Amino acid sequence: MNTKDVSWDWEISSKTSYWNESFKSLWTYRHFMASLVRRDFLLNYQQTILGPVWILFQPILTLVTYVLVFGKMVKLSTGNLPPVLFYFAGIVLWNFFSDTFGGTSNTFRENAQIFSKVYFPRIIAPLAVTGTNFFRFIIQLILLILLIAYYLIVKHEKLSFSYWLLAFPVAIACAGIIALSLGLIFSVLTAKYRDMGNLVGLAIRLLMFVTPVIYPLASVTKELSWIVKINPLTSLFELFRLSLLGEGTFHPSQFLYSVIFMLAVAIIAVLVFNKQGDKLIDVV
Amino acid sequence: MSDTIIKVENLSKVYRLGTIGTGSLRQDINYWWKKSVLKKEDPFFSISEDESPGSKNILWALKEVSFEVKQGDALGIIGSNGSGKSTLLKIISRIVKPTKGKVSGRGKVSSLLEVGTGFHHELSGRENIYNSGYTLGMNKWEIRRKFDEIVEFSGVEKFIDTPVKRYSSGMYVRLAFAVAAHLEPDILIVDEVLAVGDADFQKKCLGKMREVSQSEGRTILFVSHSMQAVNNLCDTALWLQKGRVREVGDATYVVNKYIASVQKLKLNQKWDSPHSAPGNDFIRFKKVEFIPNFKNLGEPLDIRTSFTVKFQFWNLTDNVLLSTGLHLFSYSGECIFDIPSSSKYFDRGIVEGECTIPGNFLNDGSYFISLIIVKDTSVQLFYLEECISFELEDYRGDIKWYGKWMGAVRPKFPFRFEQTVMV
Repeated sequence: MNTKDVSWDWEISSKTSYWNESFKSLWTYRHFMASLVRRDFLLNYQQTILGPVWILFQPILTLVTYVLVFGKMVKLSTGNLPPVLFYFAGIVLWNFFSDTFGGTSNTFRENAQIFSKVYFPRIIAPLAVTGTNFFRFIIQLILLILLIAYYLIVKHEKLSFSYWLLAFPVAIACAGIIALSLGLIFSVLTAKYRDMGNLVGLAIRLLMFVTPVIYPLASVTKELSWIVKINPLTSLFELFRLSLLGEGTFHPSQFLYSVIFMLAVAIIAVLVFNKQGDKLIDVV
Repeated sequence: MSDTIIKVENLSKVYRLGTIGTGSLRQDINYWWKKSVLKKEDPFFSISEDESPGSKNILWALKEVSFEVKQGDALGIIGSNGSGKSTLLKIISRIVKPTKGKVSGRGKVSSLLEVGTGFHHELSGRENIYNSGYTLGMNKWEIRRKFDEIVEFSGVEKFIDTPVKRYSSGMYVRLAFAVAAHLEPDILIVDEVLAVGDADFQKKCLGKMREVSQSEGRTILFVSHSMQAVNNLCDTALWLQKGRVREVGDATYVVNKYIASVQKLKLNQKWDSPHSAPGNDFIRFKKVEFIPNFKNLGEPLDIRTSFTVKFQFWNLTDNVLLSTGLHLFSYSGECIFDIPSSSKYFDRGIVEGECTIPGNFLNDGSYFISLIIVKDTSVQLFYLEECISFELEDYRGDIKWYGKWMGAVRPKFPFRFEQTVMV
């Protein structure tokens, strides 16, 4: 028996790598991820009277508030679209973005207990959070589609559809990936420097105002539009509305900017998360 | 069967005391600058490497630990608190990164570092079996296949759809264990988790683990403070002391050495002058001693060991009728027995006495001894309380039962037991 010749399946050393999990090994954890999503889902609505209805309740209440405050009181323009549809489209996509970003940025703090007791690829946890939020988003999206149908059929609202309709999954995917990537980067930072946790919450809230959630990009004055355009989410929200409601602006250069931003931040996020993730358990 | 499945080489782990983690942002940037840009030696190591007084705030949880584990072996890891046992398991489980050195291995590793990993209080037993199973590394089909077996092992059939927060703590632990016991990894890592749960269930778990290691050829790394469990379950043992390997080898041998080193309880006391010694105008104690009568050197002090209690005192009065008594108490303060000596007349000077307690008489546990000196068989002159304390380890030979042995004493009286009629 010569141990020198034995090939090892795994090796643990002080080295950390930028890419240590193959997709194949992540795939073996798919049921685990599904169970985490399921658990989050069950936990949120266990022992509540309304149960999963809460998923719809929150955006509907937000919608009512926006229509009252921004539509009736402040009288912000929503272009040619009915305010209800305009706001709801914005709210649904924004919720997905902000919940995913906020949720994944807490990965290490939320999971410190389980991370210190059992090993699995750490990226499973933020992926599960994204999954949970995606699931909630889909339910809210269905409500949005029902609202659109209501406006089309009952109110005979004129909405212009085109082949742009095919583009809305792209907008969702890009927004989701940006949220997850930023979340991953900030999860590492919040684990190391607790202050970041507070910063993320504040940043998300302020970011909403430079994203066309409650106003269309077209209504922003020339002098100030650069602030909104520098935000890579802008083109995605506009694209989302353009494809579902038929009104929004689409500039190829703007969209390209968003996609490049997404790719860059996604690559950085995965590398940073993998490199730092294994070391962080000593810190949290 | 004798292939090496885990190889640990020069494994070290450093923790910084006080500030946990790498420190402030400034330190981090400084660290990154030195390491990545200037390509200097890792500054983290250069501080920690020298053991000068400057590195007081650094703790070596593990230092240059090397060993190998063969397939199918059960390795017991023992050592006092803070000796690095848990850190070692966490590194092998890939939870924390070592500072130096490496571990290589083959096969799937499952670790059981706490009871109920992946359990959530709000969810039902059924949900939790799945969640916990996934968390510990089982896959869907494995859990499905074993679901009924797990439920049966845990004995909570009736409550399987009740949220576990309504379970009694015993039920919770049983269910959590049942999931863990049905893992099928190549390497199973178990931390001190058997401390919870009742004796009966502990027995069941140890039995299951034996079965797993012996009949299925799986490798087990087992941390425990129960020497009896290590002795019974493990073939080899690793004794860690302050992060270093103190001894590794045959389980019985290592366990005995460990026990012998731990037992430095109050076994003898000596006073040089009558002025400082405990006592009064009549009596001053000079010496009390606890002497185990080992047959061989290096034997552990267990329930088989006979021991002698010796004492000496200064008698300060002439022509006095004295007798003594030896009181043995269990650690909970219950008196197990009171052995009186005969009464004799003594003059001024040193009086000594001894009493031998046979082996195979006391049960395992911690005990303390008090001595009483009596005048004229009725008047208490002095009572020396808790002058000796000692601990008897358990020993059961071939008995495969690990629950707490009942009773204050465990005498070996003759016991006739035979078949009288053959059918």
